[in-house]
Amino acid sequence: MSDTGTTSTIKRSSSRSRTKRKPKKSQLPQATFVLIVVIALGLFLSGRDNGIAWFFVTGLAFGYILQRSRFCFTASMRDPYLTGGTTLTRAVLIAFAITTIGFTAIKYGYFSKGLPIPGMSYVAPISLATVIGAFMFGVGMVIAGGCASGTLMRVGEGFTMQLLSLTFFTVGSLIGANHFGWWKDVFTSKGTKVFLPDVFGWFGAVVIQLLIIFLLYIAAEKWQDAKANH
Amino acid sequence: MQEIVIDCLGEACPVPLVKAQNKLKEMNIGDILICQIDHSCAMKNLPEWARTDGHNVEVDEVDDGEWEVVIEKVK
Repeated sequence: MSDTGTTSTIKRSSSRSRTKRKPKKSQLPQATFVLIVVIALGLFLSGRDNGIAWFFVTGLAFGYILQRSRFCFTASMRDPYLTGGTTLTRAVLIAFAITTIGFTAIKYGYFSKGLPIPGMSYVAPISLATVIGAFMFGVGMVIAGGCASGTLMRVGEGFTMQLLSLTFFTVGSLIGANHFGWWKDVFTSKGTKVFLPDVFGWFGAVVIQLLIIFLLYIAAEKWQDAKANH
Repeated sequence: MQEIVIDCLGEACPVPLVKAQNKLKEMNIGDILICQIDHSCAMKNLPEWARTDGHNVEVDEVDDGEWEVVIEKVK
């Protein structure tokens, strides 16, 4: 990265000299240990059930990408307001666009063979409850410093403060899961279920969704320009 | 020219940024703000914001997972 270079353009007062960088310790022993544990755990899981080993691998890959890329769903929603930067917002939109194509391909594949379409239980009814819930989640994740994946990633990274978020996230999820039936009966099931391919056809649904994402992308770019030149 | 250090060690994502924004507002042009952080996310968004706002920014990794973001107020 360019900003960690040794040449300094900022003149800092002599009263406080630059904090000396501690020499980096080799982390090879830890890395080897973790690698062995991961392989052993993977082999152990695949011996029990094929599905779970696959989830383990995809989970690790997802975590790695999340950590390296600093991909943060919280920041994607928060930074446009806080800093005016929308790079993460656009990254999330690109991810949505890619998954739109991928998931539609999977679903269409099943549909064209006359098989039941997977993942249809995630087509949840939309109602005012969605809006209120989304708003509450948004407030919560900004205060907690991360959504579910972000919190997990940062705890793994060694940011111990967010163990607090993780603990209460787990507690809240368990309580929520326990009461979910009631919430579903009373609130969420009142809404209408919309599965876009039913309304616009498979091709139309992809085009419309991608168009909306594209428009949001343009809006995000314009927003950043407007904020930078204010 | 003043040099101000703010300690944001242990603060989660938006807090170091907001602290730095508020501090920077009350500083004079030419002053330097050093923000100590250990949250990798702030290491990303704090320099990004300061750069788009037009300040000079440098990031020093002082230890594993600990950074100093040096911001020179230029306007």
